[in-house]
Amino acid sequence: MQTLQLEPFKGVKKVTQEEYFTSGHRTCQGCESALVMKLMVKAAGPRTVVLGSTGCMYVANTTYYSTSWVVPWMHTQLGSSGSAGLGTAAALKVLMRKGKIPQEPINVIAFCGDGGGVDMGLSAISATLMHEGYNLLILCYDNESYANTDIQVSGSSPWGVNTTFSPPGKKYRIMNRRWKKNMAAMLAAGHPTCRYVATVCASFAVDMMNKVRKSLSIGGPTFIHSLDPCPKGWDYDPMLSHELGELAVETGIWPLYEVEDGKLRFYSKSKAIAAGRKRKPVREYLERQGRFAHFIEEDIEFFQRKTDEMWEKWLIPGVIPFTPEEKTALRLAVQ
Amino acid sequence: MSALTAKAGEREELISGCEAIAHACRLADIDVVTAYPIRPYDTVMQMVAKMISNGDLDAEYIVAESEHSQFEIVKHASAVGARVFVGSSGVGWFYAMEALAVTAGLRLPMVALVGNRALDDPGAFGCEHNDALAVRDLGWMLTWIEGAQEALDTALMAYRVAENPKVFLPCALGMDGAFLTHSQHLVRLPTKEQVTEFLPPYDRGDKRLHPDNPITIAPQVNEDWLMEIRMQNSEAMKRARGVIVEANRDFKRIFGRGGDPWLEEYMTEDAEVVLIGQGTLGLPVKVTVRKLREQGQKVGFVRLKWLRPFPTEEITQTLSRFKAVGVVDRDYSFGSPNDGGVLYNEIRSALYGADTRPPILGFICGLGGREVTIPDVVEMVETTVKTAKTGRVDKPTTWVGVRG
Amino acid sequence: MSTHSVEVVYRGIFQKHLAQKICRGIVLAAVKEGKRGIAFGRYGDSPERNGIPAKQFAIVADTEEELQISMAQYEPKETDVSIAVDDTLCKGVESWAWYGLQPINKLLKKDGTLLVTSMEEPDALLTMAHSKEVPYHIAVVKGTVSFSGLWVYKDDHTDVRVLGAVAKVAPHLVRIGSVEKAILEEWGDELKVKSARKTYDRAQKHLVAPGTGNPETPYTFEMPKWQEMREGLVIPAIPVREQVEGWDGGYRPGRNPTFKKFSTRTMRPVVDFEKCTKCTLCWLQCPDSCFDITPDGLYDANMQACCGCGVCEAVCPVENCITMVNETAFPDNASQWEAWQKDEDGYRTWVQQIITNRPARSHGFSHVTQYKQELAEMRKTEPAGEVAIINEEPGAGPG
Repeated sequence: MQTLQLEPFKGVKKVTQEEYFTSGHRTCQGCESALVMKLMVKAAGPRTVVLGSTGCMYVANTTYYSTSWVVPWMHTQLGSSGSAGLGTAAALKVLMRKGKIPQEPINVIAFCGDGGGVDMGLSAISATLMHEGYNLLILCYDNESYANTDIQVSGSSPWGVNTTFSPPGKKYRIMNRRWKKNMAAMLAAGHPTCRYVATVCASFAVDMMNKVRKSLSIGGPTFIHSLDPCPKGWDYDPMLSHELGELAVETGIWPLYEVEDGKLRFYSKSKAIAAGRKRKPVREYLERQGRFAHFIEEDIEFFQRKTDEMWEKWLIPGVIPFTPEEKTALRLAVQ
Repeated sequence: MSALTAKAGEREELISGCEAIAHACRLADIDVVTAYPIRPYDTVMQMVAKMISNGDLDAEYIVAESEHSQFEIVKHASAVGARVFVGSSGVGWFYAMEALAVTAGLRLPMVALVGNRALDDPGAFGCEHNDALAVRDLGWMLTWIEGAQEALDTALMAYRVAENPKVFLPCALGMDGAFLTHSQHLVRLPTKEQVTEFLPPYDRGDKRLHPDNPITIAPQVNEDWLMEIRMQNSEAMKRARGVIVEANRDFKRIFGRGGDPWLEEYMTEDAEVVLIGQGTLGLPVKVTVRKLREQGQKVGFVRLKWLRPFPTEEITQTLSRFKAVGVVDRDYSFGSPNDGGVLYNEIRSALYGADTRPPILGFICGLGGREVTIPDVVEMVETTVKTAKTGRVDKPTTWVGVRG
Repeated sequence: MSTHSVEVVYRGIFQKHLAQKICRGIVLAAVKEGKRGIAFGRYGDSPERNGIPAKQFAIVADTEEELQISMAQYEPKETDVSIAVDDTLCKGVESWAWYGLQPINKLLKKDGTLLVTSMEEPDALLTMAHSKEVPYHIAVVKGTVSFSGLWVYKDDHTDVRVLGAVAKVAPHLVRIGSVEKAILEEWGDELKVKSARKTYDRAQKHLVAPGTGNPETPYTFEMPKWQEMREGLVIPAIPVREQVEGWDGGYRPGRNPTFKKFSTRTMRPVVDFEKCTKCTLCWLQCPDSCFDITPDGLYDANMQACCGCGVCEAVCPVENCITMVNETAFPDNASQWEAWQKDEDGYRTWVQQIITNRPARSHGFSHVTQYKQELAEMRKTEPAGEVAIINEEPGAGPG
């Protein structure tokens, strides 16, 4: 089953004009996830079908009896992004094979938030990524909480963060004692036949759009994990959305990489960091957000230490956390 | 295994209820089917898989990782315009409950087999109707089947009704676990030509999800919109009644089979009391009715085919002819009016407005797949006859065939 | 026997806790007078979006029975006092598709009071607020608009100052004595009591004669009947482009016809087209796709789509090419590019004037010490005597 071959945009000025996700949504001022939606379909183009899991990008984006979508869009349940993409791709495939609709490559994109992907939807995403015969992209827009329902902690929320389910109090300053799940790497490592997994951030718009284009062109089920600064849940001046995205990458908290046919490539500032460039202190990122305002020095230090481990102790810096025991003979493919 | 019969190239085969449904899928040329293992429905998926591997059916066969995904996958395939088939049993059906609710809300003509199975806990494979009944109020059409031939016929009927643009509602086929899912009957298999004449292609029109039809489906609503949406759903279910009658008429014309669309009446002409029930319950009841007729008792049996849409007028007109009615439930509704079963309360409610109202008794039996025996049925009939004589209901609900 | 309603219209998330505190304060004060009351947010506004207009209400009555009808409503049918804690809300409220533009004084009953926190004078605010057929009053609580985010509360006493003003403009609702008792009980802070009293002493209401105010008729939509709505929850998509006369080479995206952002902004971008290098960043990074691409390849922020986040200013590499300016400075939603086309010199002067005299305003949390610094700053800059007393330690939001 062939796919649309989407050439990468060569620079910001080569980006196409047309919007396929447009204004009139009810998202927050400075909503980075709305920007992700816009760039995602801008990259994919008009011959695209989008499935959207429950979450901000559902509830805030589409106020009945109206829409912000130009391309066909359909709601799917919170845990169903994987199933929605699979069912849509399967239907298009068989209807074309049986001559019931014209033969043509059509992009299928199913998106979910971190609640719908990293938590509830994980099993369906995992199952879908093993179905080689269907072409679709699952994009997780990760604003690090159930931001839509009132900002509750998710499996993708950062350690120590203030959310309505993890509020700092008189007895416990830190209520979320879980470190953020390593979603993209888990999917890349756990699904050997999946041809493309990538991390993105809309602050690096062209990189983000080109990864979307690659994921759709390469064929089979693919996955992209996007870190989306959220002015509502992270508590910052909406004007800073872009800057916080950059800081997440520059501090090394959010590495930009792709795994294509088993080959790992770092991108943008993460490439420099992987090559040894000094990372900005996480303090610069944390202190810009109200959700960390309750942090004291030792919390910031802990956060820094864990981030340092990602880059200094992990088998593959920023990607694969475990390392072989010294005695274990191991020929490292990656250097 | 198959004996070719002379006329119309029809074949007669010895197959189970599940296999009969699989043949309906083949004849309806379904496009996408999703499977997940759970007894007893899943033999249908084993058969469909074999049909695909043998090249008898061209469809996407997806083995999901849970019932929730199983039903979500076909839900989305149906939105694109694919004819889909799916099914489950017992707690599996409940695991898919979220998908079941939205499928009706989205007005997608999914056809699903429910191999009726008792709900956990404790785990049990036997038949109870409470699994399928969970979608009774959600906008699913809901029918119960007595035999393998009827299984095949009803499945074809279900696609025709569900995919009618006036309806666009999902349909669940209730099939008693073990008694029908796993027992083989002689079934006449119609030809592709007959089915093509009966069943037009699924055309979603301006509701299909495709770049050539740019639409947004199911945006978030607030209190200003949902009443209107529910109203549309209710009207579609009302329209389904007419569409079922029409489909039933064409089915008889093309296949030469099938009786009344709503009710099967058995030895009711001069009957004074009747039992009414669904599914394979009819079989032991019919046998008993014959025995009692030989003893000169004026008893009969009525089998309800469609629970949703509920044939209110037909039920009222038919049942008000009798002196007393006994409703046989293979389900429970703990704490309901008179602690009766679901069917008992539905029928009682339907008859409330009737000019002549026979006394109605409820019998709960056959739970967990327990056999409903001839003595069981005799007990039910006798109680109903007694009530007909006195005209008074002493004990509205009786559990039959329970120890102690 | 009487029921009195107050609505607080605010910017979602930014002012959620402020609005909650004001509504609680009104009810708790009324209780001190032997009345009963309830406080609640408009359910349809939840989950809130930051910047999107939202409402909370305080309803007080002599008896519980009088409150019952209000307990089964999303919002009261009329108010004695309508409070706008952000003066740009005087332009109206649109919080959902098909709601149309709802005037800020829509629910206000005859002789009620519109209370606005602002640095502007009543006359300036009345150029924004839509005219009403019945007379009402307007009162201003002087001060820069109080914006803070969700987790950290900027305790600049706006909450108690508004409570003081309410006691002045609607003594039949709550009296200052009970407001002071309630504040002391709720916050245990003498300073806040003094702030409330100070505002009470200074607050004045001015009569607004019928027909005074913004004369334009707010846009409305008529909702379809169930038979008219497409079945299967289907909505027609938005067209990919809006055809514009003589816009060859330009591009204006299709836009949602029933949900606009005219009332969502607190600021809007002012573009100096002569400085623009056409780097595309404002256009590309705008989450609301609000920039139209003009035939000459410039980017014109379309006010029906701009929600005023300021990302465009943040990403613009050229100094003063894009500047966010307080929404109160704009009489209409006209295209800046068209104005520049008509009269370049006039436009140049306008840009200079409007970005130099723009009022200072905070737009949410930027760093951990920000509110403390701002509060210290306010003590110097606020109008004499208005906010003489302020805590320097910002309290944490209830979350």
